[in-house]
Amino acid sequence: MNILLLSLILCLSIFSLLAKDLLNSIIALSAISILSALLFTLLRAPDVAITEAAVGAGVSTIIYVWAIRHTKRKDQDE
Amino acid sequence: MNKRRFFKIFITTFIVSFIILPIIISNTSWPTLARDYLFSMAFDETGASNTVSSIYLGYRLLDTLGETLVLFVAIVGTMTILSNIHKQSLQSIETYSKLPLEKRAKNSLRTNLVEVVASKLGPIILLFGLYVMLYGHISPGGGFQGGVIVASAIVFLALGTEVKTKLTNSTVLLKIESFSFISLILVTTYVVFFPNGFFCNIYTDNTFISASIIIILNILIGLKVGTSLASVIIAMMGGQNDH
Repeated sequence: MNILLLSLILCLSIFSLLAKDLLNSIIALSAISILSALLFTLLRAPDVAITEAAVGAGVSTIIYVWAIRHTKRKDQDE
Repeated sequence: MNKRRFFKIFITTFIVSFIILPIIISNTSWPTLARDYLFSMAFDETGASNTVSSIYLGYRLLDTLGETLVLFVAIVGTMTILSNIHKQSLQSIETYSKLPLEKRAKNSLRTNLVEVVASKLGPIILLFGLYVMLYGHISPGGGFQGGVIVASAIVFLALGTEVKTKLTNSTVLLKIESFSFISLILVTTYVVFFPNGFFCNIYTDNTFISASIIIILNILIGLKVGTSLASVIIAMMGGQNDH
């Protein structure tokens, strides 16, 4: 179960690095936070899980979305 | 996909996994000395049955004060940057959110879905945040966690409801933050007048009153974290001036 969650987190983080649309990257980061919170709960660290779910999936997502509203959404081609 | 970029990511992943691999495959057992000491002594010495709370509000209170100071400096910097941003963009967002629904722009922050979900979920999340904050010495959680949950509840209420209340007013929130931060500094440093030492719990008589300082510190830290984060996000959404 831990291996499955960790490999999902790895896939999502690679996707968030490679995605051209920055909103997709933010949603992938939010999903990483949720999966990490699940992993922390399974490893019996509920304090860290609450913090991860509240900060990672809640507040930082709002701040990232606010930031890309004021910049360009699409990544530029090299 | 760019081949060169993919190559860079592959190389980075390889190097990082090569560094982390010895930690994963090593078979050394974890040290147990500090764990056993905390398991037997933490409740008697600090009065919190949640061991994490007993560490960050009992043994390492100075670190917690420093972390709160770091958050305070971050909030001050963000508000300074936000106050210098051109008023035009913020003004446009605010006028959009005051229009009726069909006249709003397509990228407006408040849509139908957000209004329904956020206004219904906001009070429940606020209650849960207060619970996590108040019961930090017994159950998992504490001041920081409860404060962040309270902050997201305030943001939900600010996004979801038409009515402007004191809870979503940035000035009131910043006043609460300053008050709780001053109280936090006073509560953490008043122990110098007692013979137990600097930053420590003066009640160690193993009753309910020995957890009282931890409850007070949890409430103050939660109020500080929650109101400061909420006021920053409300200022980002362009509502720091009126209502």
